[in-house]
Amino acid sequence: MIGISGAAIYVPRYRIAREVISAAWGKAPVPGSKAICHFDEDTLTMGYAAASRLTRTGAEPGRLVFASTSAPYWQRSSASQIAAACDLRASTGTMDFGGSLRCGTSALIAAIEAVQAGQVNHVLVTVAERRDAVPESTEELMFGDAAAAIAMSREGVLAEVVATHSRSDDFLDEWRRDRDSQVQGYYSKYSLTRGFEANVGPVVKELLEKAGVPPSEIALAAIASPDGRSHLTCAKALGIALHRVVDTCVAQVGVTGAAMPLMGLALALEAAKPGDLILCAGYGDGADALLFRSISPGPGLLRDSKTIDAGTYPLFRKSRHYLLEGSGGAEISNVLWKREASQNVRLHGTRCPVCSRVQFPITRICSACRNTEGLEEVRLGRTGRIFTFTKDFLYDAPVQPAIMTVVDLDGGGRFLCQMTDVDEREVRIGMPVELVLRRMREGAANHHYYWKCRPVEGTA
Amino acid sequence: MKDKVAIIGVGCTKFGDQFDLSYEDMVADAANAAFADAGIEPERIDAAWLGTFSPYGGHGKASVGLADALRLYGKPITRVENFCATGTDAFRNAAMAVASGMYDVALVVGAEKLKNRPTRGLSSEGEHPYQTDGLTAPGIFAMAANRYFHQFNVGRESLAKVAVKNHHNGARNQKAHFQMEVSEEQVLNAPMVAWPFGLFDCCPTTDGAAAAVICRADMAKPFRDDFVVLKGMGLSVTSGRPWFDSGFEYVGFSATQTASQAAYKMAGISDPVREIDLAEVHDCFTWTEISNYEDLGFCRKGEGAHFIAEGRSSLAGDMPVNTSGGLKSFGHPIGASGVRMIYEVVTQLRGQAERRQVRDAELGLVHNLGGPGSVACVLVLGRP
Repeated sequence: MIGISGAAIYVPRYRIAREVISAAWGKAPVPGSKAICHFDEDTLTMGYAAASRLTRTGAEPGRLVFASTSAPYWQRSSASQIAAACDLRASTGTMDFGGSLRCGTSALIAAIEAVQAGQVNHVLVTVAERRDAVPESTEELMFGDAAAAIAMSREGVLAEVVATHSRSDDFLDEWRRDRDSQVQGYYSKYSLTRGFEANVGPVVKELLEKAGVPPSEIALAAIASPDGRSHLTCAKALGIALHRVVDTCVAQVGVTGAAMPLMGLALALEAAKPGDLILCAGYGDGADALLFRSISPGPGLLRDSKTIDAGTYPLFRKSRHYLLEGSGGAEISNVLWKREASQNVRLHGTRCPVCSRVQFPITRICSACRNTEGLEEVRLGRTGRIFTFTKDFLYDAPVQPAIMTVVDLDGGGRFLCQMTDVDEREVRIGMPVELVLRRMREGAANHHYYWKCRPVEGTA
Repeated sequence: MKDKVAIIGVGCTKFGDQFDLSYEDMVADAANAAFADAGIEPERIDAAWLGTFSPYGGHGKASVGLADALRLYGKPITRVENFCATGTDAFRNAAMAVASGMYDVALVVGAEKLKNRPTRGLSSEGEHPYQTDGLTAPGIFAMAANRYFHQFNVGRESLAKVAVKNHHNGARNQKAHFQMEVSEEQVLNAPMVAWPFGLFDCCPTTDGAAAAVICRADMAKPFRDDFVVLKGMGLSVTSGRPWFDSGFEYVGFSATQTASQAAYKMAGISDPVREIDLAEVHDCFTWTEISNYEDLGFCRKGEGAHFIAEGRSSLAGDMPVNTSGGLKSFGHPIGASGVRMIYEVVTQLRGQAERRQVRDAELGLVHNLGGPGSVACVLVLGRP
């Protein structure tokens, strides 16, 4: 049996109220909020965050696929760096999907086909979107940032694959040229009816015909939506009852692009009872549709209930491009990057067999007892507690103070890193934290990624 | 080594924002003042040591930073860099060379031109590209202060007393960067730099240079009667990345403990507070001075806050600390500071410290601390 063996979602902690944005432009208040990347997040870090929730506990994937329309690099694999940060072995196949707003569902179909073909037993698809809209546009109010990950496997299947279907349509709806930093689009009724509805409707209809399933039997429908409404119109026309349509959190999180149908799928899996049929549909330059049947009760999704108010509109805009417009970071040579990858990217340290001390960075001489025999490279824990910290107003950061911490890692080893995703008033010695991959200051025309810590769920 | 090396001349520029002076101008001013103080011509020196932490714009790089500043060529010159302990380590190397008999007369210069840079504070050039990204000089010591507060239940009020004292002393020193008194309230209400350090808990970014001329002690007399001799000396180096050491308690610096013990042993000191008359210690931040009291053995670990509160380190106390104003008020041009401390102790031992003079000063201590508490150099200087 082939199907979904795990699911996770990642939503940034920062929220901006839509009325803050509408008020900035002197417009009538718009209800709800949207999730936004912190200044040090992008789709690579969010894609890691979603994927790591599955690689921490689940089986190690033979292939890791990253999908996004807003990857940090035109040329350089985000999947390969996510695989390294997840500490996956070098033989992991890594692939990057992009281009279309349905790249998430397309990656899912490709993953299913790879497992079906016997090429690989376990594929992890992680999709992340960081959506930048034209200031003052409706999309600036609606677009949100988020990530989701789905594991496709032969074993431990929670929901089996029933059928997949795609259609292509070179329709001019929404796009971003190679030189655009913001999404462009016509956003007219024509786009909604002749683009979205004209593709999602038929692709679902043809999928259900292929599977021999009447629309009324769909228990949960996770459908991409350009606006949080049109997917309901579409479902109704297809004969899928509105209460069957999964809420993809548009009101609180936003329109999250390629991540949206996979987020919906993860939420559907969690809600499904054994035997339930789950529909997932993605839209963009055509459409994809996938049908699953739930086998066993779905996984409990790790839900991050912590949210932080992003504050004012100017702060939101400043954070949005802070790292891109600034610099000041050091140049990282490819020699140093590669040689230190196992410690700085994979988060390995050294364990001394004589005194048992776990230490970072990797060493050939034990820093506690100076033993040189039998030192072992080990994975460091990615959680710990703050040993000491400072709130630094001298360090250049979009929101001051920057918080610097010394963290005692669970399982041993002490780590130095900046703290993120926290209200500075909550920081305490002894506070439990988790390590998260984040963007550091730019240098030498490269994005830099390293580890920061943030409060773990349920603390502070 | 004890009593083998004599300081026969010292010089020091005005410390501060020396926007109109170049690195070479300051080196020349300090060295020429020391030559004049020793009553010698530059050619008289056999060798020289230059202490500069961070060259910028090509100034202070290698030994030529000194040779070109003085247009003094053909002499053996060495540049020393050892974090903020650069100045004292330059002196230490010169002293060993003189004591060995290799050279009779040597020049030591510490100089730093920090205000050529367009940015605030110290640059992070030469650091790991991201392992330490986010660390600033105040941040490094603030993390220790915060842990110290946590462990010993001490607060910012204790730190403020150090700033008040050192500004009081600096106000009595015409070469100090800041010559103004501050109140405890001012210190506590100043803008935050790195919790728990406010603006007045931090030493400034300063330009300056200081110099000393040394010779073998047995040949000092013809140069001057009131020469000062080196009694004790110690250098200790621990990890430059204590944040990765899970055994590090973050409440003090073992480098200072080890270096001072070595210096006391050489000088024959068993009770530093009773035997030493004044100390110039490395108060890069107010908390550092409190930790220094403990690490130098003036009091036990955790009791430094009482030491300042009881006024023991004030000008009138039984162990006046930073009579010059310290890094806090005199300023901290990195490589210059250690030599500047020697300048102050020599001035005190000669009885020339005027309004901040410690009465009957015979034995003085110099303490430099570099990096995140990684490098400490301690000198004991005394009348012959």
